[in-house]
This record gives sequence, structure tokens and C-alpha cells, in this order.
Amino acid sequence: MWTLIKREVGRFFSVYRQTVLPGLITTTLYILIFGFTLEKRISEIHGIPYTLFILPGLMMMNTITNASSNSSSSILQMKLLQQLPDILTAPLSSFEISMAYIIGGTVRGFVNGVLVLILGVLLVGMPVSNLFLSICFLLIVSWSFSSMGLFLGQMADSWDELAMMQNFFLTPLSFLGGIFYSIQMLPEWAQTLSYINPIYYMINGIRYTILGVSDSPPLVSFVMALGMTGLFTFLAVMLMKSGKKIKS
Amino acid sequence: MDSILKKNDIPAIFIKGLNKSYNGIPALNGLNLEIENGEFFGLLGPNGAGKTTTINILSGLVLKDNGDTQIFGQDTVTQYRETRKKIGIAAQELPQDWFFTIEKLLYFQAGYYGIIKKIAEPIIEKLLKRLGLYQKRNARLRELSGGMKRRYQLAKALVHNPKIVILDEPTAGVDVEFRHDMWKLFQELHEEGKTILLTTHYIEEAEMLCKDVAIIDEGKIIARGKPEELTKKSGQSGITIQFTGWKESLKLNLKNFTFTIDENRLHFTVKDPEKSLPEIINILSQNGCHINNIKTEKISLEDVFLSLTGRGISEKLSS
Repeated sequence: MWTLIKREVGRFFSVYRQTVLPGLITTTLYILIFGFTLEKRISEIHGIPYTLFILPGLMMMNTITNASSNSSSSILQMKLLQQLPDILTAPLSSFEISMAYIIGGTVRGFVNGVLVLILGVLLVGMPVSNLFLSICFLLIVSWSFSSMGLFLGQMADSWDELAMMQNFFLTPLSFLGGIFYSIQMLPEWAQTLSYINPIYYMINGIRYTILGVSDSPPLVSFVMALGMTGLFTFLAVMLMKSGKKIKS
Repeated sequence: MDSILKKNDIPAIFIKGLNKSYNGIPALNGLNLEIENGEFFGLLGPNGAGKTTTINILSGLVLKDNGDTQIFGQDTVTQYRETRKKIGIAAQELPQDWFFTIEKLLYFQAGYYGIIKKIAEPIIEKLLKRLGLYQKRNARLRELSGGMKRRYQLAKALVHNPKIVILDEPTAGVDVEFRHDMWKLFQELHEEGKTILLTTHYIEEAEMLCKDVAIIDEGKIIARGKPEELTKKSGQSGITIQFTGWKESLKLNLKNFTFTIDENRLHFTVKDPEKSLPEIINILSQNGCHINNIKTEKISLEDVFLSLTGRGISEKLSS
């Protein structure tokens, strides 16, 4: 199992220009374009300068995208490139295989989140109110979205299907989760809609651990993140165990 | 003494009443097969007969519907950790990889079987040298030729030193010279004491290598024995004719013969070649065929398959 984890982590580090650098570049662009231009119009949210306010959300978006895409694309790629049989015929249990993929995605999500955090501290002097909590929360969210990625990657039969899940669900939900705004700025119906978006809780959870402000109660964010972790880990492992879509 | 005998009696591969269907279409119909430890065994059959399905069930890649499958007396489902360590598979499908060198991929493969780097190092070096891949060890899979990829498949199957080596169409699509090199390698592995299960639809391959063969058709074993026994039992002969000018109407004219057609090659399985050959030549000439070459030969496994099923081994099941 250790080998499989090493393979999963090695896989994305070997193509770091695709898997690590883009997140940093995008975030820098967001800070420059959105932060510095909009900061003149939106001075403060919850008493926080706008550039600082959006940073935890950007960090979370980076984490979520990377964690989910690592496990999902890795399993789909192995499926399509005829590499999955090597793992499925090895003396490894479905649980071990699932864990290796999930840990691989978690590491990528976490590394990307931490890099944005460091970028924020270096570029705009972002204060981190509770580093320990931030790290814990990043890890939990990375795990939950990595396991969700593994579940979706097993279900998908083509890159098209996977891209659809990414583009039609994850990206819109991330943007609507309050990266660039506080939901208090939205009309009431839109606020209510935000409550059913799980990413809203993730963004506000990390914002709380860094800036000490949050639209959602911090405890709810943590419970939500843990709940999603449990649910998707269970679903991904059970799907692997059933052999559906990967064994005939 | 008694216990030693009993230990040796355990078959390397034991399959009983194995069933598998895909979307209601049966692929295996109560397949029974027993392969002794140290055998070089050939599983022969046309594409779609159930060869790969059988192998994949043994290795855990396909879930069986029901039936008993054991490796050295251990169940492949409940004791999969043990049984999978004993099997090495060179799959028919060639893998691809964009990220790692073939040497690194072999280290991963060893790791999946719990072999740490220090122990794997000399094993992998030896395998790469033996299979002529050492110079290419830093290449990625896409940089290898088809033949090299087949050798990499074999290296991957051997990295954990399995007792049973399963070769699924191991020389499919490679040139003759390379095929002969691979055959030599397979024979060496067998001499080292490994049990080998070879699936193939190349008759020559099975006749050349296997001490024992089974013929599989429509998910069932229809004949089993030593190649020379099977051919002897059939009591027939083969006639191969190279020709040009095939017409579909010829099928009707030749309806009294058991034959298979593969491009410009007709192969007949006959009881008395001296009587049948003039008749066949007559029919072909009358229908405007140009005969390039005629060969009568002693019966091969191809004839055995043809006489048992009425179809050529290279023909698809549906044809």
C-alpha cells in the first residue's frame, strides 16, 4: 500500500507544472486582478480588507480542485491506460487501494492549499489566526474531496464525464460558496440556497481559522467537513469493494 | 512420505464448475480444469472462447458468478492475498504510462507485492538484463516497440517470483524472430520449475511448447491431453492450400468437407487425403481459383479443433 501511495504522490510531483504551479499562478492573478482592482470599490467585508477576505476562499478552491482531480483523474487514467489490472491483481485489499488513492489526492490538495497560504502571507501579509486549526481543516477538506474524486473517477467511463462533473458541479459550487463575497451581501433567497452548498461551509471554515470571521458557525463547518469525509470515504471504498465499473 | 505425497498432489490450478456471464450472455459454462504443479499447460481456443475470462477470474480481475477456483489449494476469493502472490500474469493488453520509467514501474510492481526496494533491486536488474531491457530501463513505455512492451509485461509478471506464470497471448502481434526468442524464455522459466499456463490461438505455439493442452470453446473445455495424443486420437490429416480467387459460392461446393478459410489459405481436415485432395483441387479449379501451393501434413491441433467444433480456431465465435 505504501508503494501505491508513493506512486500516487510521485505521479503529480513528476508533473508539478501541471499540478502545483497553476494553482499558485491563478491565485496570484486573482489577488492582482480581483483583489487590487475591486478593493477600491469594496473596501471591507466583516472589517477585513477585500484582498485578505478572498484569500482563504482561493486557498480552499485550490485545495478542493486539486484533491478531487488527483484521485479522480488518476483512477480513470489507470482504467483507460490498462494499468489498473496491475493493482487489482496484486495482493491488496479494496480498502488499501482506496486509501492509497485518497491519500495521494489529500497530499496534493493539502500541498496546494498550504502553498496558497504561504503565498498569501508573503504577498499581502495575510495574518493566520490559528495555524493549527487551518492545517487540520485543510487536511480534512483535502481528504473529503479526494475521496469524492475517487468515487467519481471510479464511476466515470471517459474524460468527458469527469470534466462534466468538474465543470458543472465543483467549479460553480466553489464560486457560489462565497469566495469573493459574504453571503450577507446576497438577497435572502440566494442566502438560503448557499446553505445547501457544502463548499460554502468549507470556505467559511477556513476563513474562520485564518481571519477569525465566518458566515457559517465554525462548528457547523467542521462537522460538515467531517461528515463529507466520512460519507465519501465510505462510498469510495464500498464502490471499490463492489468492483463496479472496474471489474467485470 | 505420505504428507509429501499429499502436498505434491495439490494442483497448481484447480477450477470446478466455473460460470460467468456478461449481461446474461454466458462466457463460461461450468468450466472444469486442473493443472499440476510444474506443468507447461496450453489453453487453446478462438477469440471469445473464455480463455481471458478464466485467467482474469483466477487473478481477481473478473468476478465469477459461481464455481470453485483454487491456487495450490487456496481459494482465490477468500485467500486472495496468498493466491495472488503465487500468480504472475503477462496480460494480453499492453499498458501505457506517461509518468514513470519502466525500471520505476517495476519497482512499483514489486512494492505492490510487499517487496522492499533493497530486495527488489537485484531482482529487477537481473530481469531487465535477462529480457534485454536493461539498456531501455530509463525509457518510458511509449518509447518501447511492441515486442519490447511484451518483454516488459513478462518482467512485470516475474518481479515477485511467482510459482505460476500466466501468459495470455504473449506473442500476439509480434514478429517471428521475436516470437522464437520469447518461446526460449518460456521454456527456460518452465525448466526453472515454474508452472506455466499459456493461452494462445497460435497452434504452432501450443504444439511447440506445451506438454499438455486443453481446448476451450464456448466457455467449456471440449478436449484435453498431450498434443500428440489429441492429434493421434483424431485419426485425420490436414491439407493446406494457398490460392487466390475465393468466392462465397465455393462454401456450398465444398460443403462435404471440414475446412477453414483464412484470407488466401484454405485448411481442410480429412480422413483420407489421397481420396479428398483430387476432389478439392477439382472443385477449386472449376470455380476459377488459382492454386499457388498445396501441403498435406500430419494432423495438427488446428485439425483437432476443426473436427471438434466445425470452425477454425482463428475464426470468431459468431462466424
